[in-house]
Amino acid sequence: MTASVAGRIERLRQDFDRSFAEPVRRHDEEHVELLALRAGGRPYALRLAQTAGLHPDRPVTPLPGPLPALLGLAGFAGTVVPVYDLAALLGHPDGENPRWLVLASGSPPLGLAFHGLDGHVRVMAEAIVGEEANEGSRGCLRGMVGLDGVSRPIVDVPATRALVHALAGHVLTEEAGR
Amino acid sequence: MMAGRTFGAKLAAGFGLTLALTLLMTATSALTLRYVLVTKDKVVEIASSSLTEAQTLSALMERRIGDYRSFLLADTPAALATVGQDRANFLNQLSRVRDTLDDDEAVKLLDTVAATESQHNARLDELIAKRQKIKSLTDTSQLKVEGMKQAREAVLSAIDNLIKRIKKVVAETRKESSDRATMAIIFLIGIGLLLIASAAGVAWRLSRDLRREVGAAVGHIQSSSSELEAAAAQQASGGRDQASAMSEITTTISELLITSRQIADSAQRVSKVAEDTADAARTGDATIDQTRASINAIRSQVDQIVQHMLSLGEKSQQIGTVVDLVSELAEQTNILAINATIEASGAGEWGRRFAVVAEEIRKLADRTAGSAKEIRTLIDDVRGAVNTTVMATEIGAKAVDAGSRQFDDATNSFRRIAQLVATTSDATREIELSTKQQTTAVEQVNSAASDTARASRETEASAVQTKQTAAHLSTLSGDLLDLVGTRGH
Repeated sequence: MTASVAGRIERLRQDFDRSFAEPVRRHDEEHVELLALRAGGRPYALRLAQTAGLHPDRPVTPLPGPLPALLGLAGFAGTVVPVYDLAALLGHPDGENPRWLVLASGSPPLGLAFHGLDGHVRVMAEAIVGEEANEGSRGCLRGMVGLDGVSRPIVDVPATRALVHALAGHVLTEEAGR
Repeated sequence: MMAGRTFGAKLAAGFGLTLALTLLMTATSALTLRYVLVTKDKVVEIASSSLTEAQTLSALMERRIGDYRSFLLADTPAALATVGQDRANFLNQLSRVRDTLDDDEAVKLLDTVAATESQHNARLDELIAKRQKIKSLTDTSQLKVEGMKQAREAVLSAIDNLIKRIKKVVAETRKESSDRATMAIIFLIGIGLLLIASAAGVAWRLSRDLRREVGAAVGHIQSSSSELEAAAAQQASGGRDQASAMSEITTTISELLITSRQIADSAQRVSKVAEDTADAARTGDATIDQTRASINAIRSQVDQIVQHMLSLGEKSQQIGTVVDLVSELAEQTNILAINATIEASGAGEWGRRFAVVAEEIRKLADRTAGSAKEIRTLIDDVRGAVNTTVMATEIGAKAVDAGSRQFDDATNSFRRIAQLVATTSDATREIELSTKQQTTAVEQVNSAASDTARASRETEASAVQTKQTAAHLSTLSGDLLDLVGTRGH
């Protein structure tokens, strides 16, 4: 046990030292950054490029309204952001309060709350089973990725934003959505 | 009536009855004699007074007749006085006769005498007067008075009748008196017969009772003598058996004496062994004290182990808290790295290079979190092990306690054994002593048994003598039965 831990420490130190010796790498197109998360007890993935920030344990002020998915309002760097329950938006609401909150990129600002964070992963682009963009509306999910033997549907943030707007009664043009 | 009385009482009653009858007869005889005497006295009185007086009356009448005839012849005053005196005497005698009479018919006859005498006296007074007138008496015919002779005859006749009557009364009274005397004699004879009969009855009754009761008693004596004789014979044979049994007993007691001595020797050996055991028990007592001290040391060390284990558990919990802190830091680092990546992705070329650094930071944070998780698992394992150890130690402590209690029990048992061994030693010494006393007692019993055997032989001899005496008594009883007259009763 102690020997293995000592080996791990040694290896860690070597990896750390080697990282300074390696040439400068670039995040090229063949890699996709993903957030592995859990909403309503189900595994999902979310493209990191479509987010503007990840925050745990943010206070959310409840807002009265007819939408059960709308959890309330939260403050981020001087901006008031509406927060929606991702699980409710995906159609399987959970009674528990979501701990995590991710800010959608783009405007208007939108916060999506979920229950658990499984981690930040980088996968090859080929690992993502894609769909045609105009293959018709299938809710908020676009594509699927296999991580550690578990298939995770990928939540598309623009589609989710469109759904939120639809729920809120707004009409958005295609351009505005992007 | 006499049943149940003693023979003496019966004798007294019989003689008492006879005596009472004798007294009765004596009294009756006296009364009867008295009665006869009174009756005869009456006869004698009648005979002596009435008849004598009546005959005196007759004599006085004759004398008077003579006197007045002499007057008639002489006519002297003296003779006349005598005539007067004679009449007075006659009347006087008449009243005396009346006093003695109690028969009515005799009284009537006496009245007749008085009446005829007064007629005769009247004639006589006539005659006297006639004579006094005559100066010279030449012929008796001068003195003739009519009815003189008849009056005199009547007086004499009346006197004779009276005397006859009185004689008759005397005869009747005598006859009555004799009859009564005869009756008294018959009565006395009857009483005497009754007395004889009752005396004979008493004698017969006494004789019968004597025969029956004395005979029965003597019969019982005879049968008892026979039984006594048989019993004496049995006693004699029993005495012989007893003497032989006593000699057997003496032999057995001698064997018992030998056994008793052997027991005394064995008891002495047992006493020695018991003393050795008591010594060993005292040695064991010291060992027990040492063992008890060791157990107490184990107990306190087990307590210390428990304390250390509990302290270890506490420390583990504190480590866990620190690990939680590290986990929290790792998570926050991870979040910051993610956000840095997000920020870097929008910052062009420099952003991409920064993203690499951010990824490295994120990887470190992931590893930190993983290590913290491992530490967490290890700490949980340690706490589980501590809990298990504490529980096992407490079970051990309980086992030590139970062992201590059992050891106490064992100690108590051991001490009890030691006490019992001491008691056994005492008891064995007592047994030894008692056996010696028993040996002495058995020797005494032996001599007593010899005495008893001698006494049995003497008893046999005296039983033979008793048998002879009983036979003699039986013969005497038969003789007595012959005397009483109820042989074969």
